[in-house]
Amino acid sequence: MDKSLHVIVMYILTHLALIFFVYPGNIIDSTTQGHWAAIFIGVAVHFIFIYLYMKGLSFFPKKDLISIYFGAGKIVSIIFLLPLACYLLMINIITIRAYSEIITIVFLSNTPLWAIMALLLSISTFIAISGIETIFRTGILLMILFLPPVLFVFFASFQNVDWHYFLPLNSDLGFFAKREFYQSFFAFSGGFIFLGFVQPYFSYSRKKILLAAVALVPFFIFSVYIPILTFGQATASLFTLPYVVVVDTININWLMFDRVTMFFLLSLITFIFLFISLIQWKTVRIINKCIPAVNSVYVIVALSLFTYLVCLFIPNWKEVKNLFWWNSMLRFYILIAIPISVYMIGLHSKRGGKQNDG
Amino acid sequence: MMVKFVRTSLLIICITLPLSGCWDIKDINHRLLPVTMGIAKQGEEYEVILQIPQPTQNTTKIKIVKETGKTITQAIDRISMNMESSVELLHLRIIIIDKETAELGIADILSGFIRAREVSSKTLLVICDEELDSFFANVNGAMESENIAIFDFFEKDKGWTPHIVLTRVWEAFRSIHSYTIDVAIPIVASGESTIISHVGSAVMKKGRMVDRVTSDESLLFNTFHGEGAEGKIEVMDKASVLIVDSAVKNKHQFVDNRPYLQCQINIDVVILEAQKGATNEVIKNDLEKALSNRFKELFAKIQANKADILGLGQYYRSNIPRTKLKEWRTAYYPALTLDVQFHVDIRNEGYIKNPS
Repeated sequence: MDKSLHVIVMYILTHLALIFFVYPGNIIDSTTQGHWAAIFIGVAVHFIFIYLYMKGLSFFPKKDLISIYFGAGKIVSIIFLLPLACYLLMINIITIRAYSEIITIVFLSNTPLWAIMALLLSISTFIAISGIETIFRTGILLMILFLPPVLFVFFASFQNVDWHYFLPLNSDLGFFAKREFYQSFFAFSGGFIFLGFVQPYFSYSRKKILLAAVALVPFFIFSVYIPILTFGQATASLFTLPYVVVVDTININWLMFDRVTMFFLLSLITFIFLFISLIQWKTVRIINKCIPAVNSVYVIVALSLFTYLVCLFIPNWKEVKNLFWWNSMLRFYILIAIPISVYMIGLHSKRGGKQNDG
Repeated sequence: MMVKFVRTSLLIICITLPLSGCWDIKDINHRLLPVTMGIAKQGEEYEVILQIPQPTQNTTKIKIVKETGKTITQAIDRISMNMESSVELLHLRIIIIDKETAELGIADILSGFIRAREVSSKTLLVICDEELDSFFANVNGAMESENIAIFDFFEKDKGWTPHIVLTRVWEAFRSIHSYTIDVAIPIVASGESTIISHVGSAVMKKGRMVDRVTSDESLLFNTFHGEGAEGKIEVMDKASVLIVDSAVKNKHQFVDNRPYLQCQINIDVVILEAQKGATNEVIKNDLEKALSNRFKELFAKIQANKADILGLGQYYRSNIPRTKLKEWRTAYYPALTLDVQFHVDIRNEGYIKNPS
């Protein structure tokens, strides 16, 4: 059954959750002018690899990523699935730790971290236990409830822009030498892997996913450019979370709420719940396939307990950033190797199938 | 059945415990929500004055508390310590800065506010022309009896007029770091017959007050930024007109490392008062002349101070490479040639015809 809508919603929500926080800061730190070049390279890489990935997956209409790798042999599945599982686990840890820190920076300054992390984890674990159908249905619900406020704030954040800050346009390619540029790929690589996991449950049309990715492009551009257009590069580069600071400056007289930041953040944090539960579900799918004997519910619970413990041992924002950086190698491996390998396996099996027929 | 029930209830308890947020709860009656903060630097210490409205049965009483500290946070902490409730700066609307402090520079104060995020970055900045103590004492008595707040003077839907420049904390913070833009901050003092009198605007350069301009010049500043509508101005003793609309057209050129700006400001006015003999033509010409002279004076003043409160550097961002743009205020801005032209259109003359 074609359930493109569910997949599209999931794709957009998880990316939105990732775009508005760390991504603008990374891009602004990586270059001082002509940020569009850094953004477009990221977006182009994103497009190339999701296209390859989906093309590769389309060779196996009823199989998910794990069975594709298992079908290709034991060594192949170890080469690709083990790093993937590690990557997902690390993303899980980083996301929870980073976002709980962001929550304390932005609004819950007195609440202990362990409580916020427990909240983030317990709700996501609960959703993940309920399975993929629940995750996707929750996605639809969250979209109906929280996408309007996010879009409203997104458009309202144009309030204080000064288009002169768009200049100078010309870009040097100096950002290739910057760590932050590579870190910015977090926003691109985090969300798309799930397309390979949903196949037996949800089928989707490739074109629609690509359209959803196109719809996300303005968000990538303006999440970076709105802080720059409001504050200018020199000031925007001082902020940890540039976009959130801009949202703070929005002044809407007729709205009865003074700070729209709260609505914006809480909406995005519900998307984060979704993102984390999706990651947990993926990790458990991999683990379960390798060790089929254990009940998946226990695996999820054990996994989130493990994540929680690791998160407790990360003392500060600097360490989070370090983890972020260490994770980069793995991130590029996932971003590049998995789509290409799936495509190759797909091509290979297609050719093999033809030979068998002939 | 039983097992499932127990499991579900355990889960519900687990989720409700963190959701309730019971550890840092503080009821609203134990929070003090000041709306105005005064800051003065005295030697090494900051003096912080908070104006806290306290609702009583029929009216709102306004309480003033004062404390000093090495930092603003310390001063506020001390107030919190000595008061029966804790001070929350979430609803702060106006920060009044002592003039001497503004002349010394407010960059640290502003970055403190932006960093800690408790004070909204939308808070308005005002500079006080007199001692903060006497200002608050004078203002408070009048305000308590009339039940109004200082920020009413600055709200666009309340007492704001286009003579008053509105500058928020984030804008002032931007001007400290931005290469090409500065800000102006309104200056007030306690008035004689009115509660507050507006005495002009401070020209801030990189967070330091370097000069001041009159309130008529502030109106031009606002007109330049497209916020001059509804402002009244007098014309050469002959008439007074109301600006109903204004539009600014800028043409910028950059020749031989020198910036040139041709600025045309079109304003639509309505005649409010006209003396005998003041024909439309005379009013129009006088107004155009008076405004462009005033604008030139304003520009000469801010250019001499190298403070770009009009944000003219913004136009040359594409002409000057970024490494050089840093020196906009010192290298390029003093050489800027500004040619300003006012074009006045008299939209109507009211109920009484005026000879054209």
